[in-house]
Amino acid sequence: MTVVGRTPQQRPAARERSAAGQRSAAGQRSAAGQRSGAGQRRPTRGRPVPPSQKRRPTAAARVAPPSRLPISVVTLIASLGVFMASAAFAAGRMGYASSPWADRAYWLGQALIAAPVAERLLSRRPLSPGGTATLIVVLTVAEYLLKICYSPLSFTFTDELLHWRSTVNVLQTGKLFTANWGLPISPRYPGLEETTSALVSVTGMPVFVAGLIIAGIAHLLFICFLYLSFWCFTRSYRIAGIAILVYNATPTLDSFDAMFIYETLALAFLGLSVLAAWRTTTGRSGGERIRWFILALLAITATVVTHHVTSYMLAGSLFLVTLASLITRAGATARRIGALAVFSATAIACWVIIIAPDTLSYFKPTVEGLVQGFNSLQNGTSSGARSTSSAPFGNQVLEGAVVLLVTALLPVGWWQAWKRHRRNPWMVAMAIGSLGWLVALALRVGTPDGQELAGRTATFVYMPVSLMAGLALIRLVNAALARRWESAAIAVAVTGTLALLFDGLANGWPPYWERLPGQHQVAGFERSVGPEEIAAARWTLTALGSGNRFAADTGIYPALIGYGDQNPLQGVGYLYSTPAYTPAIARAARAQAVQYVLVDRRLSRSPPTSGTYFPGSSTTGNGPIPLTDLTKFNRVPGAARVFDDGNIVIYSLQGAQSAP
Amino acid sequence: MRRNYSDIAIAEAIAILGCVAFFTHLPEPVMIVLGLSLFAAPGYVWSEVFLSPRTLGLERVAVAAGLALMVPVFGGMGLYAAGIPLNRTAWVGLLAVVTLVGAGVALITRRRQRNDMPPRRQGRRPRWSAGHAVAFGAAALIAAGAVGLAVFSAETQKYAGYTQLWLAPLPAQASTASLEVDNEQGAPVQYRLVVRRRGRVTATWNLTLASGQTWQRTISYTTSYAIAASLYRVPDLTIPYRQVDNGVSPPQKPAAPRRTHP
Repeated sequence: MTVVGRTPQQRPAARERSAAGQRSAAGQRSAAGQRSGAGQRRPTRGRPVPPSQKRRPTAAARVAPPSRLPISVVTLIASLGVFMASAAFAAGRMGYASSPWADRAYWLGQALIAAPVAERLLSRRPLSPGGTATLIVVLTVAEYLLKICYSPLSFTFTDELLHWRSTVNVLQTGKLFTANWGLPISPRYPGLEETTSALVSVTGMPVFVAGLIIAGIAHLLFICFLYLSFWCFTRSYRIAGIAILVYNATPTLDSFDAMFIYETLALAFLGLSVLAAWRTTTGRSGGERIRWFILALLAITATVVTHHVTSYMLAGSLFLVTLASLITRAGATARRIGALAVFSATAIACWVIIIAPDTLSYFKPTVEGLVQGFNSLQNGTSSGARSTSSAPFGNQVLEGAVVLLVTALLPVGWWQAWKRHRRNPWMVAMAIGSLGWLVALALRVGTPDGQELAGRTATFVYMPVSLMAGLALIRLVNAALARRWESAAIAVAVTGTLALLFDGLANGWPPYWERLPGQHQVAGFERSVGPEEIAAARWTLTALGSGNRFAADTGIYPALIGYGDQNPLQGVGYLYSTPAYTPAIARAARAQAVQYVLVDRRLSRSPPTSGTYFPGSSTTGNGPIPLTDLTKFNRVPGAARVFDDGNIVIYSLQGAQSAP
Repeated sequence: MRRNYSDIAIAEAIAILGCVAFFTHLPEPVMIVLGLSLFAAPGYVWSEVFLSPRTLGLERVAVAAGLALMVPVFGGMGLYAAGIPLNRTAWVGLLAVVTLVGAGVALITRRRQRNDMPPRRQGRRPRWSAGHAVAFGAAALIAAGAVGLAVFSAETQKYAGYTQLWLAPLPAQASTASLEVDNEQGAPVQYRLVVRRRGRVTATWNLTLASGQTWQRTISYTTSYAIAASLYRVPDLTIPYRQVDNGVSPPQKPAAPRRTHP
């Protein structure tokens, strides 16, 4: 039995043979067969491949010598990469954030992390299942450590601060579903807050540390479940490893999917749901299948309770597998997965109706934008989407190259899926799901905010895409031509994979202008949250109480929600765009029930780093705001100046009158 | 066949110790280790219930971790539905009970499986050479050093210092307000704080605040006449360094001086 045909659960039976085989000529055949033979079997229906179906390893595979790069050395190099990138972060904090040398050090660190892992996974040299898993874990942990190194003392990203606030609320009140002014929908999906609260309660750790642990474990779990699922689907841990490598190109993987936000935890549950669903169709006994079925039900429910979009994607995926099972005439799979799909849809509907009815209004603007964008595309009119990206030219070139690369790999992957796995419903479903890549491209080009929407859906779209790309890559690496010039072929494959990974990092998060931490930036993201902003936000909670309606700029907005528990408003640019507080502005402020205005004088010194000074508002143009527009509140009768720290001034508008 | 239940016994012990620790004040490191163990224990015992003995390695660990994360999600919902506040007592009790129940079920399941199934085969242990162990150890040290460097550089990052001045009515008493000065300049600073009512100086304080020190007074407050507080940074006693007021008068207040941090 070759390892190709082994799934994780079948591993013990063949493990000794494989391990011994790697030390003998026969073993070299076995080990090499893992690399060259993956996917070279007849199409299967999702059942283990009997030994009789194994393929004879090729001559080239038989002579594949052991790698000169042991996994321990790969791990060591990756840790050096983490240190290098952390040193670049430290240089940024010392005032060299704009230095090209610091930037190069960061990218060198990333290359040290990714390149050896990519080389080992793409190489045809022997690699055990455990070795593959170790490489994936090393890559994931290294990137997560970099996330910690970027912001090692506290959460600074907007969404993390929102969930920090929800968690603190649970700890302080002992209740679920308390108000979160910045993200009202998040308390309705309290899985992350519950888990973190439990860890904080039993260990006594700060919320920040507990949050890092929960997010880190969930992120690693998600990747491990994805790897196990890919291994089960393809019956090749080598393809699974390469697919996970390609999946690391997801722009949001090391940011949104690894942050202390509800999606991170839900993705881990989604991964467990998929693996458990697969096991319900392949378990050896009825009892085993029932246990996996119960586990799948639990994981699905946990996903539904934790994050809305992830649960929708999970339900959609299960329906897709059901459809693929019907197409491939896998009746038992269709029944079992169909039952899980119906259960997930029912659970989602019940949760939305009973617990989280706000979900509908939360998604309404997004859905309307999508519909409007697609209508515009059909009518041939402008969709309102930005025609050009504001990213540097190099990032745009890399992005375009990667789009072309993935689009070119997909047909090869589809061909491989058709040739090797067309009777495997899971692989058919993945092939169909990878068409989402084309939908994401259309979204990016054709809808307002399409760039962001496509980025946020990348987490899910890249799953099937990376598997198809993995199939394609392994086919290309194993091609006869590539075998003849193996080193050159591996170098090309590693370079292409690094381009994918670097594109994900360069066009992901944090944005290029905050690649390295550093001094305060006006109206930015992480670099706009420093001790001064945190102190001001904490003061609002202490002195004013929670839930006050604030006008504030983009920079301090998340700190006001997180540390201040305030209710900062969107679309308040009009308050800062005139030198006088006119009756029209006063009326608008009253209509919005603005209680406090936070003025940051630094807005008069620099244009907005993020492109806009105020959330949901673009009325202030692109240049710095005149100081008179900011200080006009000093002259407004009844506007109390309650706080002043030099840069940040807070006015109470509750007794304010317009200028005479 | 010899039956081994030591892992279940350890999980039960962790659950009991977690409860005991709740009533005693143990050192923080002990609480962290015990708390993490208690957090992980339910996932382990329930994975023993759900998974076949044939399931090994990464899959077993991952499912156990997934179950450990799931327990607070469902348990928290259950406690909330039962009207029990989600405080430390509730979480410790929940995790301990789920662990003990899971341990019981796992014992029964394991006994039954042992009767009709071959014992779990121990996976072949990977061969570890000294060189690999050194490399992995060095990698762990370097990674820890990277995080340490990040923490050190973030803690020592130089920010512009600032001084906060605020005048805010107390939430429960509208006739009084809190007047406070907070020095975050990174060094001791001398200030003069002047309070004016109806434009006349009614109080003056000369303050010397160490970095991080806060000065606070409660003063009477009203919106029927002007109250303003000006903070001067010695030796400049001509232009206010910070200003707050109650917004009443004068009708044409001068624009706040444009200042930057020293």
